[in-house]
Amino acid sequence: MSTVMHGGKAIPVNGDFPAVGAHAPAFSLVGVDLADVTLATYAGKRKVLNIFPSIDTPTCATSTRRFNAEAEKLANTVVLCISADLPFAQKRFCGAEGLSNVVTLSTMRGREFIQDYGVAIAAGPLAGVTARAVVVIDENDKVIHSELVSEIKDEPNYAAALAVLQ
Amino acid sequence: MATVLLNGEPIGVGGRFPRVGDIAHSFMLVDTQLGDVPLSKFLGKRKIIAVVPSIDAEIGLRIARKLESIADSFAGTKSFIVSIDTPYALARTAAVEGFRRIVMLSTMRGRDFHKDYGVMITDVPLSGMMATAIFGLDEDDTVLYSELVQDVNGDPNYSKLAEAMLAPPA
Repeated sequence: MSTVMHGGKAIPVNGDFPAVGAHAPAFSLVGVDLADVTLATYAGKRKVLNIFPSIDTPTCATSTRRFNAEAEKLANTVVLCISADLPFAQKRFCGAEGLSNVVTLSTMRGREFIQDYGVAIAAGPLAGVTARAVVVIDENDKVIHSELVSEIKDEPNYAAALAVLQ
Repeated sequence: MATVLLNGEPIGVGGRFPRVGDIAHSFMLVDTQLGDVPLSKFLGKRKIIAVVPSIDAEIGLRIARKLESIADSFAGTKSFIVSIDTPYALARTAAVEGFRRIVMLSTMRGRDFHKDYGVMITDVPLSGMMATAIFGLDEDDTVLYSELVQDVNGDPNYSKLAEAMLAPPA
């Protein structure tokens, strides 16, 4: 269990947020074509998990654009933008914005991911969506950077996330 | 378990689907302001509840537009669209479309509604979403009409809904 702030109010976040050095938990999420996508889908690649409440909110949109711009400069790395939005909403957004360097994934099928990655907002108006976080995972599925953003309205620390990938 | 069709193929739908004469199950859903909204908030009003897989899918938007356009023909009735879309997505569509009559509600906080209203799709690729359905309730939440739409991408039978909702009390 963690705590983050939402507009200055403390809100509880359930689950165990992955610490640096931990082995990344397996997951199964849903891609824009409604097919299941797992951590193993990207075996051997480095993964940036950009986790946020909703693609239809400004900060999430900003972080997706930013990571999209950075993604093509990173060797052997895939950027996964993960939220409770349905694949239809994610596809609409990325299509409208022309974002083709990031992969969007939805938690629509179940709650395992949000629990296993410690981003399950447990109370308040955002209960049900994911907290904002960045988790960077290496080729061997080891966590090499993780940030649970302390104020949910703020952007993640892009520089810190990208630094471990240089 | 019920089945509906997606592109001609059957997919499973779980939960207990409300029948005419049942008292509709209570619910707690989330409005476009992220506030909790229970069914009991509308006690004393009739309700039309349209359930859709997604407002960002063609069928969801088509049903929402239709409901918005016919809402005024049902006196003393509140009309709802329910889906697992985030409230942000529902708010975005409501703003773009200029919806003023229908209330958009999200199941973002939990899946109880999916089961309690018998619309929980259990097969890929749509598992996690809800099947297309429509319910008409009276002032005391008695079910006057319920339809699990046979084809997920099909329209509910609005004339049968209207017939059931507009019939004089027995």
